[in-house]
Amino acid sequence: MEKLLRTIGDVERYLGSMKFAVLIIFGFMVMNIYGTFMESYHGTEYANRLVYKSWWFMGTQFLMFLSITIATTLRLPFKKTLYGFYVIHLGLIMTFIGSYVTYMSGIDGSLELVPGTPSNTVVINQDQFKVKNMSTGKAIYLNLPMNAGPVDMNRKVGAVKLLKFLPSSTTQDQWRVGVPSDTTGKYLLYNDNVSQEFMMSMSPKSDYKSSLKMGLLTIHYMPEILFNCFKTQSKSGYLIWNLNTSECFSIESKNIPVDKTDAGNPALTFTHEGKDHHFFPDFSPLPINKDFTKNANSPFRIFSRKLFEDKPNLFIFGKTLAYFKKRGKKWIGKEFEMGKDIKLPWMNFKLKFVDFRKGQYPVKVPTYVIPTQENGKVVEGEAKAALVSAGGQEFWITSEKPLTLQKGNEKISMALGKKLLKLPYQISLNRFKMDKDPGTNNPASYESFVQLLDGRKEGKASEHHVYMNNPLQYDGMTFYQASYFPFGQEDFGSIFSVNFDPGRPLKYLGAILLVLGSIWHYVIRRKNKGSFFQSLKSSGT
Amino acid sequence: MKLILLLLTLSTSLYANNICTSNLEALAVQTGGRTKPYYVMANENIKFIVGKSKYNKMDARELFCRLSFDYLEPSNIDLPIKVEHIDTKKLLGLDAGATSIPASAAMDKLPQLRSEYQKQKFSSSYKKDLEKVIMRIQNLDQIKLGAVWKVPKFRDSQIVWHALKDIFTVKDQLSNATEELTQMDKKYIETENDDHLLELRYFKSHLFGYSLAFLLTAIFLLVIFKKTLYGLISIGIAVAIQLVAITMRVLISGRAPITNMYETVMFSGLGALIIGLIIYAVRKDKKFVLAGSAYNILCLMMMIFANNMISAAITPLVPVLRDNFWLSTHVTCIILSYAGLALSWILANMALFDLRFRGATEIKYYQDLIYTAIKAGVVLLAAGIILGGVWADYSWGRYWGWDPKETWSLIVLLFYMGVLHGKNTPWINNKRFIVLSAAGFMTVMMAWFGVNYILASGLHSYGFSEGGAIFLFSFFAIQIAYIFITAFDTKMFKKS
Repeated sequence: MEKLLRTIGDVERYLGSMKFAVLIIFGFMVMNIYGTFMESYHGTEYANRLVYKSWWFMGTQFLMFLSITIATTLRLPFKKTLYGFYVIHLGLIMTFIGSYVTYMSGIDGSLELVPGTPSNTVVINQDQFKVKNMSTGKAIYLNLPMNAGPVDMNRKVGAVKLLKFLPSSTTQDQWRVGVPSDTTGKYLLYNDNVSQEFMMSMSPKSDYKSSLKMGLLTIHYMPEILFNCFKTQSKSGYLIWNLNTSECFSIESKNIPVDKTDAGNPALTFTHEGKDHHFFPDFSPLPINKDFTKNANSPFRIFSRKLFEDKPNLFIFGKTLAYFKKRGKKWIGKEFEMGKDIKLPWMNFKLKFVDFRKGQYPVKVPTYVIPTQENGKVVEGEAKAALVSAGGQEFWITSEKPLTLQKGNEKISMALGKKLLKLPYQISLNRFKMDKDPGTNNPASYESFVQLLDGRKEGKASEHHVYMNNPLQYDGMTFYQASYFPFGQEDFGSIFSVNFDPGRPLKYLGAILLVLGSIWHYVIRRKNKGSFFQSLKSSGT
Repeated sequence: MKLILLLLTLSTSLYANNICTSNLEALAVQTGGRTKPYYVMANENIKFIVGKSKYNKMDARELFCRLSFDYLEPSNIDLPIKVEHIDTKKLLGLDAGATSIPASAAMDKLPQLRSEYQKQKFSSSYKKDLEKVIMRIQNLDQIKLGAVWKVPKFRDSQIVWHALKDIFTVKDQLSNATEELTQMDKKYIETENDDHLLELRYFKSHLFGYSLAFLLTAIFLLVIFKKTLYGLISIGIAVAIQLVAITMRVLISGRAPITNMYETVMFSGLGALIIGLIIYAVRKDKKFVLAGSAYNILCLMMMIFANNMISAAITPLVPVLRDNFWLSTHVTCIILSYAGLALSWILANMALFDLRFRGATEIKYYQDLIYTAIKAGVVLLAAGIILGGVWADYSWGRYWGWDPKETWSLIVLLFYMGVLHGKNTPWINNKRFIVLSAAGFMTVMMAWFGVNYILASGLHSYGFSEGGAIFLFSFFAIQIAYIFITAFDTKMFKKS
């Protein structure tokens, strides 16, 4: 027992010693330096996850708190020469406690206000996994950890199980086995000024689409068999193809006449194996039944090339492509030859063939990546991702792509998002005012005129004017003008940062003590040669 | 034939000739969100494009004017566009030794520059130089279109700023353009103010240059001729000149003189000298005056000769900084603390020099001098950080957010707190204390410049420039080398 007490005493003396103070101060300093460089390279959130909100950074702060507290108690009872020291260290202790109170029970979020729409939803900076049963309306939330790297969660959340959480991720292409009609191509579109690689897939299961818009140009990805049709000229421009046999032909080649309906729309009938198929090509690519419903079971489709002659449209069929050339009014078909790029008729663009696959389709699978920051902006790895298991299958969801699953009769939606806090009152933005520096587009100030309506209280709504350095305080919460976003053509929406800080009085008091104490200790302390004025006087000969 | 061509060019720029050789420098113009004198606008633009304010025997005033009227009368001036990066030079087909490309050639290469810029996926000094060259070409293009120079025109007794091209639409109007411009300016002064005239006087008087001359004289008087009184008088004049200059700047900008790199350098330089003088008044030790003057000289040199890195231009503030009370208290405290720490840094380096090369042995005495300066710096720094926290709490509801500028100011405080605590342990003796004080200023430089020039992200961005990073690394290298040279064989590793 005595030995234990002695050990405790030794530990206490060590924690309160000057040497320990120096070690912990320099150690904490090095951690901070590391944090600022991580922030610079990988962004604020990653730095927070890796350093500032990590257990070892918090732990170091706790050790500092211990060191300060014990150093103070070891120097009791009060000595007159140490009054400055007591005040400084008491100030530090209060600041630490205040910060802890804020950390445990403070609220720090943001409120987005769209003009004219009341809102009471504060977004808190805490990641959550949300599972909602769409049939019952019941939702379950799971707070996600502040780790910097990927986390194995293995937590059951309602009907699903959260397996993994990636706090920062990017997607990687993975190939899955599909049916023969699943074709995918990868190309590079470039001219002297820009270049853009893109992938397109015919598979409905793929994360890549079969049509794409790049500026004024629209690119369509089509089955390979259509190339032969597209490159031939036909007066009507109508092509018909058979999904089962992979055959295609222009209507002219089968001598199919085009009629007009009473309303003037084109109509045609194509007879195959004694069966009539009626098409209204301006209306639908599917044949139309007698009762004017679309026949989705039919293997035949009609395609009107005429619709794609006005604007730049590029059709790609794997290793071939076709487009309409306005000069000469002709459809042109081209094939990729080894190592040769195809010149397109728009703005000196060329197309390079990169890859083509058949019987497979690509899906985007999230993988963990350390975020990259450039010029103050995170350019890679901003999306968060989670691997979820439901009904024996595994799914990925990301912060950008939620997922809804059908499980028997129940519909379950899953999402990654931020924690939301509902205020018991509503705030609506009446007017947003932005002044600009004369002759420029730089904002000089932004101000929000808002209305606050508290349902718990009888009476009228109150009007408030919130601007930079002039927050709105209500019911313990403080609303600061933080930012804005464009809304519609000319208007703006406003973003407030919302704050509740019960540790504030302690921190302020601590700060005042700290400043007063250091002035006392370093500047006006007497009876000690180390003090400022003392040292001024002592050597002033 | 040549003569005819010459006559032709002369006759085409006849009007501009008259306008541009007259005295325009005091005219009020609007640019970059402020009203300025013409002189300042012309110099800022030409300096940005060319890298200096003269070309072909014409000064910035004349160049800018002739180029501005180019849309009516061809100026025939092929301004050289500044190019810095070696790869940009290669792209433009220039020699490695070339520093510029004629504007006409640069204009043809603009699409190439743009596509090269687009191709750079990651931010690099090459990409930044490309961007700058493109901006220079565009800036010149805008000037030549008559779009940059904006003059005050009255409509319904209200000023509306008009670009030159909207005032003078045909060549014949130029015959009395000088008078018209002067009239507009007169009316502007009558109804609004003549603040821009003060700015003209401020920029033309080169007060900081004179102050530098007086300080250099003072150092000579104090060190070589040992004339303390005359030295102090010279320093007094230098301080007075800087006070006048800073006051003028405050009156022009209407805010505390601590809102960008240039101003913080200016303020800390004077601050350190004044702190040095105050300590001297009590302690009667000339070393404080010498250290303050030396630091002030470094700051003034930076302000005068490193204008590419720290711009002297007065520009509008970002909204969050537009609070004069908090801005003046928080930033003043921080900058004065840097001044105090700078004083300790100079003293420490002086001590290292004396101990190594001049046979000085009074380590305790030097330690004492440095300690006095550090204490002043640390108290101000702690107060400044706390004031910053209070301002942040008051402005955006966050006392502390681990923003790089905040964190680095804390790192500086932690470093000096570590050293001050360590003084009471056997780890840091007097000699090591001096070495650490000399090295410690690197943390200040990192917090002050490094966050902007190297880390360059976060809320307190004053702007990034490539030259800044080079400057900072050179500073670190020189300081470390100096410590090695002066402190290595003087038994610093032995306990005292």
